[in-house]
Formats: sequence, C-alpha cells, structure tokens
Amino acid sequence: MLDKSKISSQWGRLSWFEKGCFVGVISVIVLAVVGPWIAPHDPYFVDLDKSLLPPSSEHWFGTDVDGRDILSRLLFGARSTLLAPLGVIVFAASVGTVIGTIAALNPGVVDELIMRLCDVGLAFPALVLSIGLASALGPSLRSAIIALALTWWPGYARLVRSLVLEVTHKEFIESAKVLGVPRRKIVFRHILPNALNAMYVQTTIDVSAVILVISGLSFIGAGAQPPSSEWGAMVTSGRDYMLTGWWTVVVPGIAISLTAMLFNLSGDALRVLNDPTLKQSRG
Amino acid sequence: MLSSRPILEINNLSIDFRTKDGAERKVLENFNLRLYEGQRIAVVGESGSGKTVMASSILRLLPEAHSSGEILFKGENLMVATSRRVSEIRGAEIGMTFQDPLSSLNPIMTIGDQVSEVLRIRGVSKKEASDRTVVLLQELGIEDAPNRLNSYPYEFSGGMRQRVLLAMSVIASPSILIADEPTTALDVRVQAQVMATINQFTSKRNLATIFISHDLSVVAGFADYVVVMYAGRVVEEGPVDEIFYRPAHPYTRGLLDSIPSIDQSSEKRLNSIPGVTPEPGHRSSGCVFRDRCDSAQETCSAKAPELLTTGEKHLVRCHFPLLPLSTSRNMG
Amino acid sequence: MSDISYLEAIEVSKVFGRKSRSKIAVDGVSLSVKAGDSIGIVGESGSGKSTMARMLVGLLSPNKGLIAFNGEDVTQLRGKHKSDFRKDVQMVFQDPYASLNPRMKIFDQLAEGPRLYQLYDGELRLKDAIEELFMSVGMSVEHLNRYPREFSGGQRQRICIARALAVQPRILICDEPVSSLDVSIQAQILNLLKDKVSELNLTLIFVAHDLAVVKYLCSSMAVMERGKIVEHGDSNSIFGNPIHGYTKSLLKAIPTPNPIAERERLSLAKVQ
Repeated sequence: MLDKSKISSQWGRLSWFEKGCFVGVISVIVLAVVGPWIAPHDPYFVDLDKSLLPPSSEHWFGTDVDGRDILSRLLFGARSTLLAPLGVIVFAASVGTVIGTIAALNPGVVDELIMRLCDVGLAFPALVLSIGLASALGPSLRSAIIALALTWWPGYARLVRSLVLEVTHKEFIESAKVLGVPRRKIVFRHILPNALNAMYVQTTIDVSAVILVISGLSFIGAGAQPPSSEWGAMVTSGRDYMLTGWWTVVVPGIAISLTAMLFNLSGDALRVLNDPTLKQSRG
Repeated sequence: MLSSRPILEINNLSIDFRTKDGAERKVLENFNLRLYEGQRIAVVGESGSGKTVMASSILRLLPEAHSSGEILFKGENLMVATSRRVSEIRGAEIGMTFQDPLSSLNPIMTIGDQVSEVLRIRGVSKKEASDRTVVLLQELGIEDAPNRLNSYPYEFSGGMRQRVLLAMSVIASPSILIADEPTTALDVRVQAQVMATINQFTSKRNLATIFISHDLSVVAGFADYVVVMYAGRVVEEGPVDEIFYRPAHPYTRGLLDSIPSIDQSSEKRLNSIPGVTPEPGHRSSGCVFRDRCDSAQETCSAKAPELLTTGEKHLVRCHFPLLPLSTSRNMG
Repeated sequence: MSDISYLEAIEVSKVFGRKSRSKIAVDGVSLSVKAGDSIGIVGESGSGKSTMARMLVGLLSPNKGLIAFNGEDVTQLRGKHKSDFRKDVQMVFQDPYASLNPRMKIFDQLAEGPRLYQLYDGELRLKDAIEELFMSVGMSVEHLNRYPREFSGGQRQRICIARALAVQPRILICDEPVSSLDVSIQAQILNLLKDKVSELNLTLIFVAHDLAVVKYLCSSMAVMERGKIVEHGDSNSIFGNPIHGYTKSLLKAIPTPNPIAERERLSLAKVQ
C-alpha cells in the first residue's frame, strides 16, 4: 500500500489549496455514500405542477422538467457517477498490474506478446468502442463501463511494466537474489511494494478522467439512460430546457467538472506526497 | 610575481537555503577568498562542505539561494550586478566547467557548434569561431579536431567530453577558470591526462584557476594554494606544501591519513575520522568539527574558533591546532 | 584441508547484446580463489571487473566456460548444494542508496537471510544475534527499527555489510563498495571490512578501480583490461614491480598526496 509514514510526514508540505482538494474528494465520496439518506425529496417522484422551478429555499438547485428536485437527484446520482469510474479503474488497475508484472518479469517472447496486445488495446479509441457496444448491447451504464474497462487496462499494464522493470534492476533486488530469497518472495515482498507505489497515485488521477468520459458517454446517449440520475444523463435530459431552466444543465455540469477536478488535483498532490524529491507544481 | 590587487575577492560570503516551512539551512558561512592573477587555488572538501555552492554562486548560478557578502571581480561586485552583466561575464571573463560532462553538454547539438556558440553569441563570425574552435580542441588534446566538429557528445568518451567542456569554458579567453570537480567521473588514466591538459593550458595562459575537488591527491601537483572546507566553513587554508606536509587542522590531518597510500604496507592501519559527514545546513554550537575530533575539549563545544594565522599565509580555524599559532599576527 | 578451490572461474566469457551490437565484457578469464584468500580485481570502467564479480556470485551466467563452487558448476546446482552456495557466497554492492529496500525496516532486511536458512533457534535468539551483529558493524541497536532513508551513505554500507554477514558466509565479494562514499567515510568502511575479514576468517574478493584501496585489503591482485586479466599476483610485487604495460600505466597515473612528486609528474606528462 501507499507509504503511510512518508505521507504523514509530508502532509505539512501541502498548500492549503491542496489540502482543500483532499477534503473535497473525501466529502464527495461521503456524500455519494450517504446521499440517498440525506436527500430532501424523492428523486423519482414526478410532479408536473413543480416543473422547472428555479432554485429556492425548498429546492436548492431547482427542479427539472418533471418536477423532480435537482439536489436530490444529484445526491442519488452521485453513487452511479462515482461507482462506475471506480469499477472501471479497479478492473483496469488489477488486470493491468497482473499483466504488466508478468510482462516485466518474463523478458523475451512473453513480454513482446503482451506489449503488442497492449498496443492493440491502446490503439482502440475508447469512445468508438463504447458507442459500438452501446449499439450492440443497447445503451446503458453497464455497457459504458465494460467498454471503458476493456480499453483502459493496457495503459496500466504498460505503466506497471515499466515500474517493475525499474525496480528489478536496483541493487537491493540483486541482493535478495544473492541471499537466496526464493523468486516468489522477491516479487511480492521486494519488487511489488516498491513498484506499485507510483501506480496508486495514477489511479486517483485516472478516476477524474473516467468520470468525464462516462458522463460524456451518458450525455451522448451511449451510457446511462434517463431517467437515471447519473449526472451525465441529468445534463442530457436537461439539454432541451437550457433556456427556460438553466439549472437543470448547469448544476449537474458543475458537479461533474468539480468532482473530476478535485480527483485530479488530489492525485497530483498525492504524487508529490509520495515522492518528496518531486518539486511541487504550485509554489 | 603576483600583482598587488586580487582579480577575484570574496568577502564574507554566506549562503543559506530557506525551506517551505521557513527553516534556514546555512550551507556556507563567512567565506573569504583572494585569487590573484595566474594563481591556482584548490578548494577541497567532502559532501556538505559547501564548496560547490560557493563555486556556483560566483557566477550567480543559484537563484533560489539567499546570499550575503560580496564577490568582487576586478573590483566589480557581482552580487549586485544586473543579470545582463552577469551573462556577459559568464564565459567571457569567468569560465566554468562542471563535474558531469554528459549532462552538461547538449545531447542534440554537435560539439563544434556548442564550443563555437560561446563565440558566436558574442558576435564572432561563423568561420572565425569554427577556426578558433579547431585550434583550441587540438590544443586540448582532441586529435583530428577538424573532423570531429560534427560529432555529438554521445560519440565521445568521458575524457573527451570533459575536454570539450573545458574548451567551452576557455574559448572566449576569460581571466578566471572555475573547474568544479572536472576529473571526478573519470577513470584514473584519463584523469591524469585531463589534469595534464588543464595544467599545461592554464600555465601557458597564466590563467587564474579555482579548482574544486573532494580528492586531495588530484590537486596536490596543480595547486599553489589550498582551502580546506568542512560543513560550510573554511577550516584551514595555506600554500599547498604547508597544507600537505604540515597540516594544522585535525580534519586536514585526518583526511590525509584516510588516503590509502600505494607505498605503505598493508599492515599499517588506515587512520579514519570517526563519525558522519554533516548534512548541509547542519548547525552546531562551537566548532563544527568537534563531534569527530580526537582532540576536542570543552572549549570546542562552547566557542567557535576563529581563522587565525599559524605560518606564512597559513590559516587555521581550531582551538587546539596541530601547529602553534603565530601570536604576533593575530593580535588586533 | 584439501586444496580444492572454493570458487573458480574457468575460461569464462560474457557477452552482452545481440549479434552485431554485442559487447564482450569478459573474454576467457580464469581465476581461482582458495579458502582464506583476499584477492582484488582491479580495472577501469569497461574492464569487465563488475561482470566478473556478478558471475562469481551467481547473478550472471557465463556464455562460455563455467563458474565452479567447490568443484561443481554453479549453474547446475540444485537443492541443498544450491542453497549452500547462496549462503556461503555473499556480496556487498556499490550504490548504498539502491542496495536497501526502501519499504522495509532495517531489522527485517537483516533478518531475512538468517530466517531463510533457519540459522537460529527461535525469534528471540535471532533478535539477539542481529543486534550483536549490528553493533559490531558500528551501528546502534535503535536504528534497527528504522527505514533506510534515514541513513547516510556510509551507514547504509555498514547495514549492507551486516546483511551480507548475517547469513555467516565464507566468501565475501565486494563490488566497489566505497567508490561513492566520502573519503573520510571510505577509510572507516575499509577498516570495518578489514576487521571483519580477519575476525570471521572470510575469503575476500574485492573489485575496485582504486589500486591503493585494493592493496590495503588484498594480498593478491588481478588486473583486468578490456575483459582479460593482464597481470595477476601478489599485491606488493605488482606494485613494486609491475610487468604488464597496462599495469605500469595505471600505477603511473595514480595521484598521491605529495605535492613535490605530483608537480614533477605533471611537468613530465605530455598532453595527448
């Protein structure tokens, strides 16, 4: 896992802005978890009398065309909006790590084969595949997740492969070999804990990218479908009413960009925390 | 022999780095130096001694450092000079070479271009710059120089690259050469060749040189005057023969004793200095060397010693130096 | 005892790279090390000395020839013979900053070897032994609970030496262990090695580019140039009376802390 002792000692190095980003990310995750319980209204209840009400004290973010409270929809939708990327990343990182490690530890034919496979995967445009799958299986959040997971793992395989290769050449690995430590133990006790350090950081940054892609897919109709309260779907269902009810589009839009940004910046700060030798990008 | 005014005068140079949480790390404290025309000064020290920081700050290469004191080059204070003036001085009046020739050379530029560039940016024509480059490279021992102008750094060996760096630093005929560990990364035979090259070149032009090194033996034949540094302070300085044959500071003595000699028999034990070299910016009360000194006493913890005279131009910073202090000189 | 060599390189060659872009690192070298020897392997960069060290310790396999441990081909060892080899032949590496696992406590890194070979009866005895070993290399016991990043280069090398000695080896191979250390620390580590070698009756193979260092520790020496051994014999004889041209040129090039001699050497040197 991440080097906890190093992280706690470096925490003080972060600027207020960066600390705020971490707090923000955790808040979003917490909201996603408890959202359904704290939502003030039922997100599915249609009440046409309340159609397109502007933000007010009763409806903080207003209502959509079907009279549903935007805030409540946001809170309910947080789960799918966040869980989907999490699912993609967990799959991609796990599969990528295993494959990348195998490639790094078996130079020669095995390594070449795996790398060519990754090249194919990386050459595949994620969006095209997603749209293709959407038309084949019928559009849904599930097909979007599958498409992304399939195109995302090669990136991790490549990354982990180079991280493992870098560690394998260090003298402390040679030393373990000279001591006579069996190969399996060398891999799990010496190589992986050191190599994977940098990968965890990458996952945080990737979450933000996947959030954007999935919301984007939902927006164009290839992902979550209305009446889902997934945020991308919310934006698309509010699209037609932008002039009469801008809050139906702007609010979920801001939620998406803000969350993506928070994850991205936190990941960046995590990178610096993890490796004290890196110069920080901000002051 | 030496003209009366020093060509470079460093007075009370102190450098510290401030970390994010405001802590101050003093890496150089009250450094003084006088370099005369044609003189060769070696500045020696281990890691954390401050020697490299000192050398880099002469040409203002450390923008993030907080420096105080003055650096007078021919009377002009470089610490307050405009960056434009400093750019003019770099290369043309004060040249500098660095330790790792591979990272100091631009990998995608031919060596001919890199050396000529120094002249070209000063308005010299392409042809003339190229001719002068060839002549200089030949003088520095690069055979077949005309044909090698179009080579890239990666095609050269370590010793050759170091000569290219040297060429870049002296082609505009500066009055001072600062050589920062020029032979450290080289094999022993190449090191000897490069030292011979530097020696011959600087003698011929009577070029004042500051030679930074962690290796005392390398500078033994080259230097006129040696400055020994430890933890950001000068602990001893003097004419080269004094320092090597009559060291006054326990650290200098310890360093000399730490060098395995090729003529001593292996039965004789190497005298090592106990303890650890201090972190840059390490602070201590009293003498910086007391933790590792055999002859340390109470005074050493209480009070920091001054740099005092012990012989002809020989100064030492120690309460209990290995040679007696000249009392008459130190009064007042 | 029998005169069989402990560790022997028999006409070994090692080539790196493929076909046209290959480089011969070691070219038909034979070297025999007997119990109690202290032999230095000296050469400049590209001489093949580090490659030799890695072949002798079993990290690299020769392309031609073989490395023999107690008469058996190292690459063919299996089972107990193999673990005996691993236990008996240990190595100290050059870069103290890369030789320790940054994520593992010092104690665990020292204990890994002994645990593997079950050298001690129970964790308590192991802990005592490790503490004693650690102190004997000049470190304090409370440092055992820390991580490598808190230590300087010289301290890390002491830790690495302790790690190598923890499995009670018979042969210690050192690959330029002091090259990246400050001069004053170098002397400390050299003295530590000298003491340990005599205290534990170790066979020492010391690889370095610094002839004076090798002479201090080793009674015999092999000089390598471009993959071959050009001169081999008693250290004092080689220094006093070098035969091969390369050895002579190496010795001539070594600087000494003697200004008078050095000035003379510089004035005689030709710029080439």
